[in-house]
Amino acid sequence: MIRIVIVDDELPARELLREFLSADEDCEIVAECANGFEAVKAVAQHDPDLLLLDIQMPKLDGFEVLELLDRSPIVVFVTAHDEHALRAFEVHALDYLLKPLSEERFRQVMERVKRAAGHHDRQPVASLATSLRARPLQRVVVRGEDGAIQVVPVSRLDYVEAADDGIFIATGGVKHRKQQPIGELAQQLDPARFVRIHRAYVVNIERIEKIELYAKDSRVAILRDGTRLPASRSGYQRLRELL
Amino acid sequence: MATTRKALSRGALALYAVAAVTAAATASSAFFLWARGNPAGLAVAAALPPSLLLGFIALASRFLCSALPLRSTSRMSIAIAHAGSAAAASGLWVLTWQSWVPALNRQLAAKLTPDYSILFGLAVLIYLAAVAVHYLFLEIDAVRDAEDEVLHYRVLAREAELRAFKAQVDPHFLFNSLNAVASMCGSRPLEAREMAQRLADFFRLILRLGALERITLAEEIDLVQRYLAIEKVRFGERLTTHIDVDEGASQCMVPPLLLQPLVENAVRHGLASMLEGGTINIVATLEDHMLRILIDNPADPDRADARGEGVGLENARGRLSAVSEGQAVLQAREAEGQFRVVIELPR
Repeated sequence: MIRIVIVDDELPARELLREFLSADEDCEIVAECANGFEAVKAVAQHDPDLLLLDIQMPKLDGFEVLELLDRSPIVVFVTAHDEHALRAFEVHALDYLLKPLSEERFRQVMERVKRAAGHHDRQPVASLATSLRARPLQRVVVRGEDGAIQVVPVSRLDYVEAADDGIFIATGGVKHRKQQPIGELAQQLDPARFVRIHRAYVVNIERIEKIELYAKDSRVAILRDGTRLPASRSGYQRLRELL
Repeated sequence: MATTRKALSRGALALYAVAAVTAAATASSAFFLWARGNPAGLAVAAALPPSLLLGFIALASRFLCSALPLRSTSRMSIAIAHAGSAAAASGLWVLTWQSWVPALNRQLAAKLTPDYSILFGLAVLIYLAAVAVHYLFLEIDAVRDAEDEVLHYRVLAREAELRAFKAQVDPHFLFNSLNAVASMCGSRPLEAREMAQRLADFFRLILRLGALERITLAEEIDLVQRYLAIEKVRFGERLTTHIDVDEGASQCMVPPLLLQPLVENAVRHGLASMLEGGTINIVATLEDHMLRILIDNPADPDRADARGEGVGLENARGRLSAVSEGQAVLQAREAEGQFRVVIELPR
């Protein structure tokens, strides 16, 4: 039995998928979601085999949903936009269905899903998904301790700090933990606005109040809210080139 | 390119103007002296320096002329200003005569004294003739500028038309709508048939209206309402609309497909970015010969694709400017989760 979560913000689109699937006895729809938040929750709750995922949705798009999943089911994107196809395959989506949906094509894809379902290992796709996001990154999605999803636009991102196994996203005095190497996020951020001032710190240059000499060859960046972040020699050079 | 050429010809014109006034002043005053029995050579030598001065003063009067354009200045102030400057210029010219001629020839200076009033009058005539010529050239320039402007707007209009036709409707709107039709075929065939009909009517109307120069606002609003009715099928309760067009406004002429792309933006980047959706407000009023159209919708300030809107807005702005020859205004503002476009079009 293939357990399926359908995610689309348009009701008629969900209805069409439901109709196609109703004829298939090997399939069961465990949840229908109208947005990305519901989708993340439903996947965590039901641990489905297949995610039929729209891309253009309010607040969280399909790629951001994938970024937030701990264990990823097989993903098939369902969208009217063919310009995301390349990115979709690079996040290891099994297939890519274009609206309006062709039933014949849908059946073929479901056959592929069934063949793949037996030996699909449910690795998180986060790093893959993020590495392929449109650049520069416009917002960062994180999941809080309580499972609540936060969407942080980069304009509100103060700095990023490397931690033991991931990073902290600092915004307005709050820190959100995220599983992602700091170097990867640093590459996706707009290089005109974010500088890696230290191995462990990426800072939004608009937040910097001043830079003080701390010891020989090492400086400290003082942010508007008083936070003090170390700046290495090479980090300080990068910053100076930008300012 | 055109401006450089114009500047060059203006520089040349200035030289000609100085030469012409100098020549006229020299010739007339020298003739006057010669007629009084002075040798021709002496007459020309006496007349040349003051005439040269008058030539430059007459050239400078161009600035006074452009500061007092014929169309927007009262006849009285023009007359007073030029009479005053003519008197001052002629006074200067007479003073030059008085200081220059004694140095040249004492005998001539003595003979000339009673004739200064005649020379004064001569200078006033020449100066005023120069002013008239300046105004003539300023008028020619103004006409040429107006022609350039008309041409500029015509080119703008054509470009905007081309862009508008290319970007009439987002094709994804069609793909998504067809998907909705496909979805309804199974369970609600009558609604599917109706939706197919609506889509066909909408695109037919786009083609028909798009081919016209101007349409009434009522026709444009009808198009927008058809569009919104189709989107309502897709978005369900997430999309509500409120349209309020007053009687006078609905009869105003507007370029076709002016609002359609803006309303499409309101759906695609506004409503579609909101979990709960919201209301698209369209209000049009006609007051004091000013057609005012407002489109207002909620939009997520953190949405990822805030870029696409710029193109639609730029197109609308370009077309408005083209059809109104720069008189219309389109303002877009986003604050507190509301996106608002205001169009003001003089009637």
